[in-house]
Amino acid sequence: MTETLTAATWFWLLVPMPILIILSCITFVTENRKQRRNRS
Amino acid sequence: MTIPTLVTFLIYLVGMFVIGVIFYKMTNNLSDYVLGGRKLGGAVAALSAGASDMSSWLLLGLPGAMYLGGMSEIWLPIGLATGAYLNWQFMARRLRLYTEAAGDSITIPDFLENRFRDKSKLLRMVSAVFILIFFAFYASSGLVGGATLFQNSFGWDYTTALWIGVAVIITYTFLGGFLAVSWTDFFQGIIMFLALVIVPFVAISELGGWRETISAVGTVDPSHLDAFAGTSAIGIISLLAWGLGYFGQPHIITRFMAIRSEEEIPKARLIGMTWMVLSLFGAIFTGFVGIAYFSAAGEGGALADGSHETVFILFSQLLFNEWISGFLLAAILAAIMSTIDSQLLVSSSALAEDFYKGYLRPKASDLELVWVGRIGVVAIALIATVLAYNPDSTVLELVQYAWAGFGAVFGPVLLLALFWRRTTMGGALAGMLTGGVTVILWALPSEGIFALYELVPGFIFAGIAVIIVSLMQKPPNKEITEEFDKVDTM
Repeated sequence: MTETLTAATWFWLLVPMPILIILSCITFVTENRKQRRNRS
Repeated sequence: MTIPTLVTFLIYLVGMFVIGVIFYKMTNNLSDYVLGGRKLGGAVAALSAGASDMSSWLLLGLPGAMYLGGMSEIWLPIGLATGAYLNWQFMARRLRLYTEAAGDSITIPDFLENRFRDKSKLLRMVSAVFILIFFAFYASSGLVGGATLFQNSFGWDYTTALWIGVAVIITYTFLGGFLAVSWTDFFQGIIMFLALVIVPFVAISELGGWRETISAVGTVDPSHLDAFAGTSAIGIISLLAWGLGYFGQPHIITRFMAIRSEEEIPKARLIGMTWMVLSLFGAIFTGFVGIAYFSAAGEGGALADGSHETVFILFSQLLFNEWISGFLLAAILAAIMSTIDSQLLVSSSALAEDFYKGYLRPKASDLELVWVGRIGVVAIALIATVLAYNPDSTVLELVQYAWAGFGAVFGPVLLLALFWRRTTMGGALAGMLTGGVTVILWALPSEGIFALYELVPGFIFAGIAVIIVSLMQKPPNKEITEEFDKVDTM
């Protein structure tokens, strides 16, 4: 039988940390937009 | 030591020295020396915060832990990445604005005194004492990592290796102060990142690919493939809770204070988090693939003697030619130096700004304070060196103690000082003392509930102490609340 990571392990390995990069991208865009609006 | 390795190392060390000399000429006062005159760009702030944060633990400790425990160790990186994100998201902007509004504070003790208009100077003294004590432990753990690196790589005697590492770090920190430390950290962060991408990628390729690697790890021990194997709820909470420590690490949050403008923070957060998450993945996979690579040789193979924290070093020596190997070893030194230099600088600022200027010579000139700071760097480095003399101290144990200490002493106090208008000076003092004492006492027994990482109770009790004592005291005066409201509107 080929060994593999458990489903829960895949989830915890690949979801929480990459989500933080995605959140950083989103806040980068939204906060930059807000700054531009404030300036104008 | 081979010639290519020596040359790579020397190029790296000369580069750090040159940066120190360049910024030596740009340092005119204590604000320049300990905070770079608040001129840090977003990218440098991000990578220097990351590199200062991730010490040798990233290249030695975490791969070693993954090598021993497999996927059950991923909780710690998850906790750290989450904590770092929350720190950038919530603390960075507010701290940058508030430290400038509160008397242009250049250190954390300075900010606490100015924020609460503490004329007794108690907050400044207590916080500076905690900084000096915990950083002595923290910096010593880095020195142990550095000396171990030289010992394993070049076969040097541990004590000789320790002194050489200290001499290099002192030189550029002494000369260039915060800007030198930040720029060296920036380049060191890039070197660390490249190393952590290259090593696991090549190692996994050597084993035939990702699927083959997993299969080989499963053959060694199937439990290494399960994030929950051999763990308990207390264990997982303890590892995740490391993230709480970020709110109180002075060597990291000073980067927030030094950033050029709060408008740079979203960019810095994005760069910092991308760097951190990818670097953590690199460290995770380095240790994980090490299980397949080294344990497959039976009884742990090359790491059978318990030197699991050298898995990255072994890979760099076995898989690459001597030039790249030299670069990868320089990356470990970069990780170590980038953390220690920041810690030495924060400690020296506590000595120069908080003790010397705060108590002894309030009217000391700028040049005098810069030199007191420089002498402080040397003094604290020497104390950390003495603490690091025992080579049997493992990196992770020492860092764990200091990380918890800072997280509990400063984390809740700073968060509440920044976001809760009603916080009082007495509340802040009670919070710091409660956090520090809880961490020290909680770590003594280790069974039952006391197996929980001391940062968790330390953080919670400190937060409760700030709130209760603040509510028991008179509300802050108008001057303090007006300043708080002004920061709110920024």
